[in-house]
Amino acid sequence: MITFADTWMPFIYLYVVGGLFFLSGMIIVKKAKAVNFEKKRHRYWWNISIFGYFYFMAIHAIFIIAALYF
Amino acid sequence: MEVHHSLGSSTDWIVMVVYFIVIMGFGSYFSKYNRTTTDFFFGGRRFAWWLIAMSIVATGVGSHSFIKYSAKGFEAGFSSTMTYMNDWFFVPFFIFGWLPIIVYTKIRSIPEYFEKRFSPSTRFLATILLLLYMIGYVGIGFLTMGKAILPLLPPEFTIFGIHFEITLMGLIVVIALIVGVYITYGGQTAVIFTDLIQGFVLIFAGMLVFFLGIDYIGGFGLFWELLPTTWKLPLANFNNPPGFNFVGIFWQDGIAGSVGFLFMNMGLVMRFMATKSVDEGRKAATFNILFMLPLSAIVVGNAGWIGKAISTINPSIVPPDTNPDNIFVVVANVISHPGVFGFVMAALTAALMSTVDTLLNATAAVYINDVHRPAKKWLARKVKSIKEEDKQELFAARIATALFTIMGVLAVIPFSAFPTVYEAHGYFHSTLTPPLVVAIFLGVFWKKFTNAAVIATFVVGVALMVLGMYYPRPLIEVFAHGTAYDPAHPYTYIGALYNLFVCVFVGVITALTRKQQVSLVKKIKSNPNHKSIVSGITFLSGAFFVMIIFNVASLPILMILSILMLIFVVISANYYSKYSEETHTEGLTVWGLAKAKEMFKGSKVNETDGEVIKVNWKLVNSSEDLMCFSQNDMKKMSANPGDLVYISDARKILGGLKSVHSTFGKPHNEDGIVYITQEQIDQGQFVAGKILTAEKEM
Repeated sequence: MITFADTWMPFIYLYVVGGLFFLSGMIIVKKAKAVNFEKKRHRYWWNISIFGYFYFMAIHAIFIIAALYF
Repeated sequence: MEVHHSLGSSTDWIVMVVYFIVIMGFGSYFSKYNRTTTDFFFGGRRFAWWLIAMSIVATGVGSHSFIKYSAKGFEAGFSSTMTYMNDWFFVPFFIFGWLPIIVYTKIRSIPEYFEKRFSPSTRFLATILLLLYMIGYVGIGFLTMGKAILPLLPPEFTIFGIHFEITLMGLIVVIALIVGVYITYGGQTAVIFTDLIQGFVLIFAGMLVFFLGIDYIGGFGLFWELLPTTWKLPLANFNNPPGFNFVGIFWQDGIAGSVGFLFMNMGLVMRFMATKSVDEGRKAATFNILFMLPLSAIVVGNAGWIGKAISTINPSIVPPDTNPDNIFVVVANVISHPGVFGFVMAALTAALMSTVDTLLNATAAVYINDVHRPAKKWLARKVKSIKEEDKQELFAARIATALFTIMGVLAVIPFSAFPTVYEAHGYFHSTLTPPLVVAIFLGVFWKKFTNAAVIATFVVGVALMVLGMYYPRPLIEVFAHGTAYDPAHPYTYIGALYNLFVCVFVGVITALTRKQQVSLVKKIKSNPNHKSIVSGITFLSGAFFVMIIFNVASLPILMILSILMLIFVVISANYYSKYSEETHTEGLTVWGLAKAKEMFKGSKVNETDGEVIKVNWKLVNSSEDLMCFSQNDMKKMSANPGDLVYISDARKILGGLKSVHSTFGKPHNEDGIVYITQEQIDQGQFVAGKILTAEKEM
């Protein structure tokens, strides 16, 4: 039988705990001024970083839904 | 378990041999670009992002992945992709923190960073840990290669009347000889260029197996129908079974492994050191993680999924009890025609070779930088000239590569005792990476992390990790997230969380009590017998460490010894090493990147954006490392004399192979012409008549 521990629980854990690491990284580099928002290139990499997080989240969510319902 | 032998035909062997001759010939051609040790190890810091990205694919994917993830795919399904899909969390730390630091501090190895950031004794400890890690990685690579090739060979053969029995270890020795000779000769440029081809080939071969497999089964619809739902889930069950569960893999691979791979894998770090700029490194890293890793996850794991589907339809072709480590080879053989199987196998072994050659090259780099050079300095050996010294080091690097190849073979012995490569690699990763990972991470992102803290992390952290191995139930169980206790392999993966925790705990607690430590050491120094006291304390901490390693007492006593050892190590570290938060963090943490940039350039940074221009070159007779452009061209590049310039052959397909870094000299009046010296032409290997592109770096 497929349980919550098989499907969404690992997903939630992955993006909450992993997300905390990701968020702390973004906060540290911003506070340390390692990202200079006046520079176009830096703004580009900042946006790519955020996109990447949701991109992987979407891939995992789509695969879980596909496995369960298709 | 079903054991396979003599798979494939003579056509497959011909394809494999031809492939290897072509690849080795290709790599050898690029050995002519090794003029110095910088070229040998770092490829001259010149390459474009796409070349480095493909090289990272070949190195990363080749790392035993085909065997390991196909095995897990066969056992558990699509969740074998987990490891490839959880690196992104550390990308901000890497592209904005560690990457600029490794470029701007001009370090040649990770232990060198430890010396700059902390102290020479920290560098010494980091070198030991890093070499152990890398030799172990080479061992895993050899073991995987042996397991991949063994099913192709007969169990025994006779040649010229001599009978040979083919054993895993015997095969590994032969493989090591081939790889050792190749890497000893070629160097980093050879590795990067062979990786470029192999990166493409292995992605193609992996996808070929997938499409041939789907075709063999009868289409994607049937394949999807054949697999049970639990097999189609991209993440494993949260904490069950103990041999493969989500939470264990998350902490081992997603956290310890990802940080380990991005931050302390010298092979990978050297790839980024070979990029022409920080921005090119960022492009390589993000492209690799965003696009190549999801693709690679399919490439490396699909043989296992196909194998599972075939074993459901026809168990006589792929028996369900097939040894998981053999499944890639078995499936590739079943679904391919003669010749195609040889090509797939050549790609697999080439991929493994990419990983091993990268690691061997990186290990030799660490040896030269962190053992050979400091030892020479210590022995006060005099060398006649820089050229002679470089020649000497290049020779020493080649000898070191050969020696590390032998040590890698020896490392196979303990790893071969594990049931599969996945388990061997899991155990290895969760035990050797945490101290270095924690030390690098806290060192880069936390200014308050001190020299005493990093030494405590290395020594006391390791001791507590060893205690975890001896007493998994009382120590690791609390971190286990409900994972069942397996007496044969207790907490194989989730052990990484315990290991990370103890290393972070020791590091943080030591860093936060710096004031108290300094006043304690002051008090000790005021005692007339301070030298004897600290010598005694240092000796005792060593004795406690040995007692813990050999588990000579009960857990409570060993825990008390660990606490005492922590106090003693911290006192010794503060007493013997001079550490200043100002000088040891300036330009060496993410909090001082602007300073790091200035230190890299040697003067104030010119941040104005300029154009990339095309120029012809003219030879001038000068011994200075300067390049002179016209006033108008410098205006276009927004450059001033003293700024840094990167000049490259304009043919983009070369990916920066013919290029050189220099400094802008005084301008002249000939537009479209750059004055360069013979040394710069030799370094860049520029061809007469070919146009160059030039751009201001900073």
